[in-house]
Amino acid sequence: MSFDVRLRVDERVATIELRGELDAATAGRFHDTIDQAAAAGAIELVIRAEQLAYLSSAGLRSLVFARQKMGDDVRIAVVGAPETVARTIRLAGFDHSIDLIDV
Amino acid sequence: MAQTNVLVLDEHRTVPPDLRSALERVGARVHVRTPTDVLAASPGRLPDVTVMLAHAGLSPHTVRAVARRLDDDGRRPSVVAFAEQDLHLLGSHVHAGCDYLVPPFHADLVLARLRNCDERARFSRTMEDVTAHAELLSYERELEIGREIQLGFLPDALPSPPGWEIHVRFRPARTVAGDFYDVFEIVNRRRLALVVADVCDKGVGAALFMALIRSLLRHTAEQSGLQSLIAAELLGEETTWAEHSRAIPVVGATPLLNAVVGTNNYLTRNHIRQGYFATMFFGVLDPGTGNLVYINGGHNPPVLVSASGAEPVLLMPTGPAVGVIPDVDFSLGYAQLSPGDTLFIYTDGVTEARSESGRFFGEEEMLRQLAEAAVRGEELLDHMDGALSEFVGPAEQSDDITMMAVHWRPPGTPAD
Repeated sequence: MSFDVRLRVDERVATIELRGELDAATAGRFHDTIDQAAAAGAIELVIRAEQLAYLSSAGLRSLVFARQKMGDDVRIAVVGAPETVARTIRLAGFDHSIDLIDV
Repeated sequence: MAQTNVLVLDEHRTVPPDLRSALERVGARVHVRTPTDVLAASPGRLPDVTVMLAHAGLSPHTVRAVARRLDDDGRRPSVVAFAEQDLHLLGSHVHAGCDYLVPPFHADLVLARLRNCDERARFSRTMEDVTAHAELLSYERELEIGREIQLGFLPDALPSPPGWEIHVRFRPARTVAGDFYDVFEIVNRRRLALVVADVCDKGVGAALFMALIRSLLRHTAEQSGLQSLIAAELLGEETTWAEHSRAIPVVGATPLLNAVVGTNNYLTRNHIRQGYFATMFFGVLDPGTGNLVYINGGHNPPVLVSASGAEPVLLMPTGPAVGVIPDVDFSLGYAQLSPGDTLFIYTDGVTEARSESGRFFGEEEMLRQLAEAAVRGEELLDHMDGALSEFVGPAEQSDDITMMAVHWRPPGTPAD
């Protein structure tokens, strides 16, 4: 399955756009991008998930990594996640450490 | 030396006459092609060559492109550049890693060069085979280790209290994942602990954390002895999942809370950096009354299928996945089983099973199949197994599939 990740940093707000399926096979690329965002000194991480078709448990794990890597002071928002993806995040209780935002 | 197939690469499809006769004298079969011939050839239409003699007038770039095209077709010829007069043209080819051949094209000299090429090709083929085989072996070995760990921490047999049938289907994925299940007696055999859990991610790491989490849960639950039979207090006043939370004394609630909260604390204190967590359903059943107290830590909601034909009840999360958030509260959920009812507990391998076209099985279809099936334990699992196999078809199973059916036999039904 296809997967694409893009990073943009504006005014210390890092925006990562995810497309396709985030699972065990693709999570590594997402981790690398999170490392870059953290290295850029971002104070806020916005994950655009409108085109994210699937989030597996390995994908959830990379959200845990994002939380750890960015530190507790950085706000992390997942924006526009399709219902199935938002449900996976809510079910695991991760909406308590990450903001789920509709568009 | 077996007959050597030689591809001569030349823009004009010409071969210097003395080179051709030397090749023929040493018994080589000569194929002459232009770069375009090779690049445009449809797959499988290229001669099976072990040596490519490239005219030095061609650019090293073109020669490389042709060699790559042959590679793609499963041939890996040694590349030798040759020149008749303009020997300086050989320089760039030699820099690019080619061997070279210059006049006079004596049969003995050509034969020696071809032999070299043949040996080198054989050697590099062997090396490639060995490397590929070694990689495959280590990957397979890792999978095997992961699977051994995982299987070694699953129970050998499940207890079956009078009147109850507990069945499990566990279908591990080829790429080891971290599902596990457990059923054991606690509180002086007065209660039954039911656990179905899914450690995030895949591979040996997931298997190791599965072993750790399973052991922590079971050990803590078993060691929460009779001195704390009654949970007089729930941990923490403030509950985010408040709807289920009632501070009433329930036998079995203490081992349940100790196990889940203890495991969460252990993981978040010692292993937070590894980022592993588990979603889990941990229920404590009173086989005498059908009372169930549970914690659902971010897990797919188990389904209580009623014998009365009433709407199935979903046992929603009462807390987050275990191992992520330090010092978080887990609330208790309560459910009541009646004779004839079945509790269906599963992992996301069921709802996220994929068809060949990439569609997900989904919760809706799962609920439909559960409603359609006979409600008895073992047959329910057979039915779900069948529905899943049919849905997945020839596609590879990408995640562990775990299903547990806890069935209370209606009075008067014989045991299996």
